[in-house]
Amino acid sequence: MNIVFRLAWRNLWRHPRRTWLTTGAMVFSNILLVFMISLQFGMYGLMIDNALQVFTGHVQVQASGYNEDKKMRQTVPDIIPLANSIRTTLNSETVAARGWAFALASSEDRSFGIGIYGVEPEFEAQVSNIPGLVSDGRYLETDNAAEIVVGSVLARNLHVKVGDELTLLGSGLDGSFAAAVVNIVGIFDSGVNDIDRNIAEIPLRLFQETFFMEGGGHQIVVVGDGLEAVPAIRSTVQSMLPDDSDLVVLDWDEIQPGLKQAIQADMSSSFFMYLVLVILVSFSVLNTQLMSVLERTREFGIVMALGLRPGRLGRLVLLETAMMGLIGAILGAAAGGLLTSWFTSHGLAFPGMDEMAARFNLPARMYPEVNVLTLSAGPAVVFVFTMLAAIYPALRLRWQNPVDAMRVA
Amino acid sequence: MSAVRCVDLCKTYRQGDQDIKALDHVSIDIAKGQFVCLSAPSGGGKTTLLNAIGGLDIPDSGEVYIAGERIDNLNKGELADIRLKQIGFVFQAYNLIPVLSARENVEFVMQVQGVPSAERIKKSTAILKEVGLEGLEDRRPAEMSGGQQQRVAVARAVASRPALVLADEPTANLDSKTADELMALFTELNEHHNTTFVIATHDQRVMTYAGRLIRMLDGRIVDDINQRAA
Amino acid sequence: MRLFGVLFRLAWRNLWRNHRRTIIMLGAIGVGVWAMIFMTALTRGMVDQMIIDSIAVLPGHVQMHHPDFPDDPSVSNRMLISEADLKKKFDGAGFKAWAGRVRVPAVISSERESRGVTLLGVDPDAERGISFFNYDEVDGRFLVDASDQGIVIGRRLAETLETGIGKRVVLMSQDPDNEIADRGFRVIGLYSANTKAVEEAYAFVGKATVQKMLHIGDTTTEVVFLSDDYRNVEATFQAVMSATDESVSVRRWYEIDTYLGTMLGVMDGFVLIWIVVIFLALSFGLVNTLVMAVFERVREIGLMLALGMKPGSILGQIIIESMLLLTLGLAAGNFLAWATIVPLQDGIDISVVADGLEMWGVSSMLYPKLYASDMFLATGVVLLLGFLASLSPAWRASRYVPVEAITKV
Repeated sequence: MNIVFRLAWRNLWRHPRRTWLTTGAMVFSNILLVFMISLQFGMYGLMIDNALQVFTGHVQVQASGYNEDKKMRQTVPDIIPLANSIRTTLNSETVAARGWAFALASSEDRSFGIGIYGVEPEFEAQVSNIPGLVSDGRYLETDNAAEIVVGSVLARNLHVKVGDELTLLGSGLDGSFAAAVVNIVGIFDSGVNDIDRNIAEIPLRLFQETFFMEGGGHQIVVVGDGLEAVPAIRSTVQSMLPDDSDLVVLDWDEIQPGLKQAIQADMSSSFFMYLVLVILVSFSVLNTQLMSVLERTREFGIVMALGLRPGRLGRLVLLETAMMGLIGAILGAAAGGLLTSWFTSHGLAFPGMDEMAARFNLPARMYPEVNVLTLSAGPAVVFVFTMLAAIYPALRLRWQNPVDAMRVA
Repeated sequence: MSAVRCVDLCKTYRQGDQDIKALDHVSIDIAKGQFVCLSAPSGGGKTTLLNAIGGLDIPDSGEVYIAGERIDNLNKGELADIRLKQIGFVFQAYNLIPVLSARENVEFVMQVQGVPSAERIKKSTAILKEVGLEGLEDRRPAEMSGGQQQRVAVARAVASRPALVLADEPTANLDSKTADELMALFTELNEHHNTTFVIATHDQRVMTYAGRLIRMLDGRIVDDINQRAA
Repeated sequence: MRLFGVLFRLAWRNLWRNHRRTIIMLGAIGVGVWAMIFMTALTRGMVDQMIIDSIAVLPGHVQMHHPDFPDDPSVSNRMLISEADLKKKFDGAGFKAWAGRVRVPAVISSERESRGVTLLGVDPDAERGISFFNYDEVDGRFLVDASDQGIVIGRRLAETLETGIGKRVVLMSQDPDNEIADRGFRVIGLYSANTKAVEEAYAFVGKATVQKMLHIGDTTTEVVFLSDDYRNVEATFQAVMSATDESVSVRRWYEIDTYLGTMLGVMDGFVLIWIVVIFLALSFGLVNTLVMAVFERVREIGLMLALGMKPGSILGQIIIESMLLLTLGLAAGNFLAWATIVPLQDGIDISVVADGLEMWGVSSMLYPKLYASDMFLATGVVLLLGFLASLSPAWRASRYVPVEAITKV
């Protein structure tokens, strides 16, 4: 081993307790950072997936302005043929057309205003998890049957069960009175209150007839192979739309801008917390290295008098710090990785998560995501700050003059 | 009653794989008001004996009595009390608490004893004057010479009027003139206050001040001379 | 007491012996404490705002319903108590405010669109101070009295319905016999709220007008009560309980919206965890500093022991030194927190992520809340844990053997 390395290493262990305490601060912060960052990334992934798999999908074709206003007349004309041709072009089943209307749903004793989706029974299950969440009865099967599936809270509020009839009252595309009588064939339970209370689904063709849609609908949902595939799908679909059409292709972030922003808001508050932790570690390092330089003033004075340049001593201090930082980073990443892996397989829950899950469509247990990035990001930042903290102690050596240094008792 | 009585003290240290007998069946009896010098070459056992008398070190066997009270079987707290109330110490170096001024160092023992502040100030002023440090009361140890520091230590050792003062190589770091002044001070205090002094030293000049000279070698007393009638 | 004086003086002077180390450590503690309190104030501000906004919309701290109403919010589950009886029970019972209201689900339609809303029949005089918006800030005007014929809706809902002040809308709901009851209203005012969701959800009409439309005489579906502080609603709850019998269900806000109740607990937990985590990050530096301080002073400690100071006093001296360091750091941190939060109390604009915050039910202005109790909590936790962390180095110092310590080079 190089003599400088050996010197640095030995110096580091002159005060083993001090070195371990300083390293301990790094390890503590690193464990925390690895764990929290893994948890966040796991949660963000789930948040996006959960939110998108209900209705949004990855990409939608809509009439321009529909996303903001949700007005009946902002239609995608001839929506079923268009959806078919998108399916063919993308060579994918994960494309489905929908219409949406507001209607008054009345059972024998109760009436509530709800949102009605007209869906393609054959394809809806490819883009949404609602068909899979039917807990009672079955999902829609036939394209234009007078059938409906409703949310569990809505069913309770309407005092209805599978097999009962519902009357839908609303207004059609032209503003005229629209009505239909449908049979409840299924009840879904998504766990999210707002969805289970306000949403029902009927076949798209029935929807078009009831609301006089003239073959139109409101959205074509496309789900791709992960979020990475979104831009490609988007441009393919975009190229299929006639130039003069009023239609737009939106990606999930445009459809639901809140999602990314919620993540950004959460990230920025987390980063503030991480930064504080890292700064506290830097203080610890600064203190230790400054002490270590000051108590060696005499020793440094002697070697400087022997002709060693202060710069080399400064580098020695930096090397010591780097060694300490590396120990902290490696131990921290290892311990953090172990801890996080345990939670990755067991999941993590804390009080209040059930309520949050029901409100925000979050999972009731969180599973942190361990990968190279989540393992190394925190320790790397801590290491950089550690080195920054050592700059002042290292520079102090340069200002030292050998005779003064030796005079210090 | 004797001020210090040691009966058959033994103490063995392990150094490497060798046992060193620092005290080998040592018995002495020091009367009140005596001025005793313990002299021995390095490793002769004088510091060990001094520490045993001062309750800083517990002998392996034997008994130590201070003013008739047996102390070798006391616990740490009781020993601390004995040291605090009966014994004044002057060490070779690092005698003073660096963050306290000369006066505060002198008052330290009294303060821990719980002496009221008016009395403390009176006593410390008087004793600092007696040891020739008038005007330097507010200096910190780092602002004083070695001789001055030792005089502060002596002042502290005698300020609370202990019956017994133990000094371990008090002149080791002093030049000969300062050492002479310090010994003169010891002698004067010994005569004025009838304080018992036990000084461990290998400084020939110090020994000339002593009323009684005890020589040790390899943990045993080899010579016990009464230089003056005590 | 005199002994304490000596120990205190020694501790204080020793603290400033190595002033660089002390200042760095003070910096670390100051930053740590600042972060504890600053972050807590931001979180409190956010959650408080969310809870207060949500309670304002509920509204009230305590609500009274027919026992079946929460599960089946229909006018048939109204309370059969006359206005006069309510007045007799609750007027002069010492509530900050109370109001009987009619709350039913309804469908609101303009010529262009229909939506579901919660229809609220209110008495504007009784609601003053309960309502989540200020009557004077309503565009147009608010209801004048309980038999006002107009309707006040949210700004966002008006946009969706393409309606506005002076235009007519139709409200449709059910009467107790499950017959559709509808009536036309003229829009007289538009209110604003912190979130779009609230602006879409509620329509206000005169209580008497709704009672007439629904044929329910002078009965109401809910009575809401306000207490002085949402954190302490027990007195109000008990007062309502003692004035009523089993025929109604009385619930506190955190029972009505369990999510909100949980959030309060989750936030308290978060604050404590955050404070402890920051302290732990600091504790390494603190212990390190004390270990170094003791290490440098071995000989003096030996001397003091030799002079007859009891080991307990040595322990005390180190602890006092540690507490002094912490106290100074705490003072700096608390002051810094106060000085940074006060200028921010007019609100921090975080509307860049407004859509995201709305997902969490949070408005886009953040008002940090500096509670004395949080400052005390942080200070108390730091002092307590700091005391515990100092015990080990202090104990080691007190265990020195005087002779060995003095001769240690």
